Amino acid sequence: MSEQAFDEFPHLLGEWLKGTGPDADVVISTRVRFARNVKGFPFTGRASVEQRRDVLKVCEDALKEIHLEQSVLNFELDSLAERKREVLVERHLISRELANGEGPRGVTVGRGEMLSIMLNEEDHLRLQWIKSGFDVDRAYQALCKFDRALEQVVPYATSDRYGYLTACPTNVGTGMRVSVMVHLPALTLKENIDYVFKAAQRMNHAVRGLYGEGTRAFGDMYQISNQTTLGRNEEQIVEAIKAIVPRVLEFERQRRGQLYTEERAFVEDKVLRSLALMRSARRLNVQEMMSHLSMLRLGIDLGIINDVQMRTVNELFILGQPSHLQVNEGRDLPPNERDNLRADLVRSRLSAGTN
Amino acid sequence: MDCQCCNKKPARIRICDVDDNAVGDQLNVCPDCFNLIKRYMFDMSKPLRATTDVISEVQGLLNATGEKSLATLPEPGGITPVNPQPVPECPECGMTLSEFRAKGRFGCPRDYEIFAEHLDPLLERIHDIQPAKHEGRLPESSGREEVVEKQQSLADLRKQLDEAVAEENYEKAAELRDKINEIESTAKEPK
Repeated sequence: MSEQAFDEFPHLLGEWLKGTGPDADVVISTRVRFARNVKGFPFTGRASVEQRRDVLKVCEDALKEIHLEQSVLNFELDSLAERKREVLVERHLISRELANGEGPRGVTVGRGEMLSIMLNEEDHLRLQWIKSGFDVDRAYQALCKFDRALEQVVPYATSDRYGYLTACPTNVGTGMRVSVMVHLPALTLKENIDYVFKAAQRMNHAVRGLYGEGTRAFGDMYQISNQTTLGRNEEQIVEAIKAIVPRVLEFERQRRGQLYTEERAFVEDKVLRSLALMRSARRLNVQEMMSHLSMLRLGIDLGIINDVQMRTVNELFILGQPSHLQVNEGRDLPPNERDNLRADLVRSRLSAGTN
Repeated sequence: MDCQCCNKKPARIRICDVDDNAVGDQLNVCPDCFNLIKRYMFDMSKPLRATTDVISEVQGLLNATGEKSLATLPEPGGITPVNPQPVPECPECGMTLSEFRAKGRFGCPRDYEIFAEHLDPLLERIHDIQPAKHEGRLPESSGREEVVEKQQSLADLRKQLDEAVAEENYEKAAELRDKINEIESTAKEPK
């Protein structure tokens, strides 16, 4: 199943967008990812089409064996239209590399989009669990449990010395990446973001833009993630993230408080202008939308805006992306028509009384 | 100025001998000759020599062979290098060290074993850790695989037992019989 299963899909949004969970004022979501490879096959980048097909089969059979098939959607990306693959990228369910890759590859998405399994990305298996808010323990435990079940039926490539073997040596060892998506409008406004970047780097953690490596931080959204996977066990990686992220959150909250008490007129003006603009605009490009949504989130947290829900804002971040707009509209659109449609969507979602 | 070694190419490098903080002979050579001189200068089996002595040796070799390709010249001590640095290559996926360095990605899990000695400094740097050793969890030994291995070793042992009996090597046969019993009894125990 591919095209058909997809049709309902863009309307259902992930659990992780609901805007609840610990520290939801700053943290959008917590993601834990394990990189795994099937023993006896070359890594995806060096595997023939037949070998990739075999790996896909081994993994899909294994997922069936642990009785996952009733609760998931499978997408064969090789046969899925480019626009629809882009939707999965915008939804953070697959990487851009997997979307733009070639040959047999796929993704399995659990109900509520908490679990996703990328097949034949750089590694044969990329298992990922997303939770709303800052909830690294539960995301890790859930993914661990799933991994334990899968390892009973898939022989993983491992060594005692290097742990889980991965195509890229930056992932070897635990193969584990914890990635916390944070919204830092006050630190961005106050130009403190470079300090956060440097402090995180000193502690072997990276701060990146919204869609991962090498992307810009649209809408003041950043990802904080561990950079090292070897020589530390999974609990240590979890503990390190739990030591760093709360400090960033405290810093952001402190700056938000400062804006509200010392620069009330400045921040109210910014937030309310964004709200007024979003409720009136007839054309919005994606960057403009994201920067105003960022101010809306800040305004909701500071109590400047009371008639818009956090979830609505979080969802617009995804639904207003180019491929979501086009797939929901059922056709490809030129950029100016997309901007019209995006403004319509934002107005209808933000109009007074709908929240 | 021409190279003071081959007397043909323009000199680009000056070699300067320093002895007890005093500057001794200075010689100007071309880059090709310099490479040869370097090699003969640092022959660990001999005490350090003056540059003029090394140059005469290199000149002698050049006259004898008529060319300067490093590979065809004998190593100091008379050993001709055939392949100065054997290139490690993965027998399973064909990955070489230079290809890995260019791509930054391995071809198959076996590469970690093949390139192990080159890998540790890299991993230590990437992961900011010493030694580069896995500390996390590993799959609980997959029951299925273990069963397969046990079946294979049992089959092997039984074959060996038959052979030992045929050869009337009863001592060995008794050993093998004990081993087989041991494996069979652990296989029956519930995990």
